[in-house]
Amino acid sequence: MDTSNTHPAASSHASGDVHQRIGTLTRQLHDSLNELGYANQLRNSMSELPDAQSRLSYIARLTGEAAEKVLGRVEQAKAQTDLLADETRRVTASLIKDPVAAVAKGEIMNYLNDVEVIARTADEHLTEIMMAQDFHDLTGQVIARVVSLAATIETQLLQLVLDTAPSGTAPPMPVELPHGHLAGPVVDPEKTPDVVTDQSQVDDLLASLGF
Amino acid sequence: MSDLRFLIVDDFSTMRRIVRNLLKESGFSDADEAEDGVAALHKLRSSKFDFVVTDINMPNMNGFQLLGEIKADEKLKHLPVLMVTAEARKEDIVAAAQAGASGYIVKPFTKATLEDKVNLIIKKQGL
Repeated sequence: MDTSNTHPAASSHASGDVHQRIGTLTRQLHDSLNELGYANQLRNSMSELPDAQSRLSYIARLTGEAAEKVLGRVEQAKAQTDLLADETRRVTASLIKDPVAAVAKGEIMNYLNDVEVIARTADEHLTEIMMAQDFHDLTGQVIARVVSLAATIETQLLQLVLDTAPSGTAPPMPVELPHGHLAGPVVDPEKTPDVVTDQSQVDDLLASLGF
Repeated sequence: MSDLRFLIVDDFSTMRRIVRNLLKESGFSDADEAEDGVAALHKLRSSKFDFVVTDINMPNMNGFQLLGEIKADEKLKHLPVLMVTAEARKEDIVAAAQAGASGYIVKPFTKATLEDKVNLIIKKQGL
């Protein structure tokens, strides 16, 4: 936003107003959460967010290391296969020129030894490239936990939206929290009709509330 | 080349392939796979295996439950069970040992680690 032409006094007044409004909203949210008894539930979820951040950092680190490892091994393997191709061309030319001399000078034997060594190291590179793929398993487990956390927060916020909806905007479905607590994951949807059971219901519900 | 038959249990197909390939490189080419404890038990009870390599965190039936089922089954309890898992807590390792696991490998692991553990267990059990 360009504020270069804004009068300093007006700008100060505007920022003070915004600050006041943010403070008021924060206070309202805080009081509402306390009144609704959700403060602890949401606080618990929010306290897990730093853990989620560290888990995501772990994923980034692991995938980065795997990529580096694979690229490093591929570069080494390619250098060796290039060397092998060059050597093959040289020995072939030598054989065509003078087969007896090529054998007598040990060129063929040396070449075969090189092939054996390069084949063995190429196999080692392939094994390491394969091992680098274990990040899929490890990061997959971490992603599952972060997704679970996100789903928990979504459920709690959705319930909060339902309970704080102005009269007339709430959907017809009855909303009642068992024992005053959030339902959390739906274990038995048949016995808990006041919860959503799939994402389309979540989407429809939010849409009916104007979100 | 060994004729021992392995069952590799992990819910991630990538890890099953890695373990299978590593075992093959180590001379154990006869292996089958299962995606969780339930599928593993079904295979163990319907076909002959000599060695189980299992993850812990799996849906339906986890590695600890699978281990318990194997050790409670008269026909299966002789099978060596090697746990290969991301769970690095001491209590899990102790619990696995107390429940009868033959070995415990923490992910990520190396080819040498898997090969050493498998060969050690084979030697100990006289397979």
